[in-house]
Amino acid sequence: MNTDFLTLTTYFGERDRGASGLVADELLDLYGSQRLAASVLLRGTEGFSQRRQMRSGSLLSLSEDLPVVSIAVDTRERIESTLELVLGIKRRGLLTLERTALLEGESTAPMPGAEAKLTIYAGRQERLSGVPAFVAACELLHRRGVAGATVLLGVDGTRTGRRTRARFFAANTQVPMMIVAVGAGELIAAAADELRELLHEPFMTLERVRVCKRDGRLLARPHELPASDAQGLALWQKLTVYTSQSTTRDGRPLNLEIIRRLRASGAAGATSLRGIWGFHGSHAPHGDRFLQIRRHVPVVTVTIDTPARTARSFEIIDELTDEHGLVTSEMVPAVRAVDEAKRHRGLRLASHDL
Amino acid sequence: MSAWVWIAVAALGATGASGRFVLDTLISNRSGSRYPLGTFVINATGAFALGLLTGLALTGDALLLAGSALLGSYTTFSTWMFETQRLAEDGGIAPAAVNVAAGLAAGVGAAVLGRLIGAHL
Repeated sequence: MNTDFLTLTTYFGERDRGASGLVADELLDLYGSQRLAASVLLRGTEGFSQRRQMRSGSLLSLSEDLPVVSIAVDTRERIESTLELVLGIKRRGLLTLERTALLEGESTAPMPGAEAKLTIYAGRQERLSGVPAFVAACELLHRRGVAGATVLLGVDGTRTGRRTRARFFAANTQVPMMIVAVGAGELIAAAADELRELLHEPFMTLERVRVCKRDGRLLARPHELPASDAQGLALWQKLTVYTSQSTTRDGRPLNLEIIRRLRASGAAGATSLRGIWGFHGSHAPHGDRFLQIRRHVPVVTVTIDTPARTARSFEIIDELTDEHGLVTSEMVPAVRAVDEAKRHRGLRLASHDL
Repeated sequence: MSAWVWIAVAALGATGASGRFVLDTLISNRSGSRYPLGTFVINATGAFALGLLTGLALTGDALLLAGSALLGSYTTFSTWMFETQRLAEDGGIAPAAVNVAAGLAAGVGAAVLGRLIGAHL
């Protein structure tokens, strides 16, 4: 396990333009030219940002500018040098840095007592004995008793330094996808070792998380973090809610209700991403079925905020997930809200022992 | 029909479509409703305006320009249907049926009202 890796995540709008075209293209061109180990561009379905601007796939006029999330993983050194270039792109959005560990070598050391998030970066159409690899991976994770796993399909990205972009008329076999699984540290470590064999050396990263809620049961509240670390660097928190598109509250999907309530409460921002397959409770992995009106795919909703506002957001999420959903919390050591008017330089990672 | 009328149809059509986009974005950003309020308001006001114009007995090029070009591109059937399908996807048949029924009732009601008012002006 190599713990000196970083994940650089940016949240912005699909239609945002930089100096030389769409910001999404500029970013992925950059990740491609930097030959980053793994990067994925995901299109969200719903969200809002600091400027309260709503983005929604349910309304035609608001769906022409959906939220997008780009995730890039590499060594600390490479991510830090890429970060300078990313900050050079003039645009609005949110940017986060998180410490992560790359899983390599024979076996994964479990994190005793702790809970973990495993992220697997794979190609879209990898198959294992006739079944899509992501279905086989979810099946395994479910069998091993992991709390949840969601498969997110990317539209662009890099894998081991090669650009893989989805095109309209193409088989798109290499387009990246991401499987995010959370659960008890030992179960995740054991599952990771099995997945390594199953998927033929996949790119996998591991992070610490806290599982706060599962199927309506409150397991633990998010960590109560101070506003900044010992050096005075601001600390941030990320809450992630895994639900299903078919789980409704007052007749609308739970994730939309979460986004609406968070926006009304003054939270800094939130984004929903629709997965294609997964589970987040005792039910079997599922996706959409053919010929149906309602959708059954899993949905991931993320909100990043200050520790004080995260505590407030958790109250809202806690109330709304009284029956369904998997809620996790993580510490985010570096966040920057960027704005095209300002020049941004480097970003330092805060340190805080949980 | 002269070339100028065609040019005016194109210009007013563009104005109607842009107006709809701006108004819809504005309403949708403000409203936290689960229903697509923007499209509802646009279709109801458009139906009212068209009722009013015909009530005023507008004919010929004037009706073509104000009705077919401006209001025709301002109001939207396809968006109403698309958003209804999205509602069904998210919440099942009930909210989708409410959206169709409400849009229909408001639209026909607004057109009737517009005509009555127009006829009495």
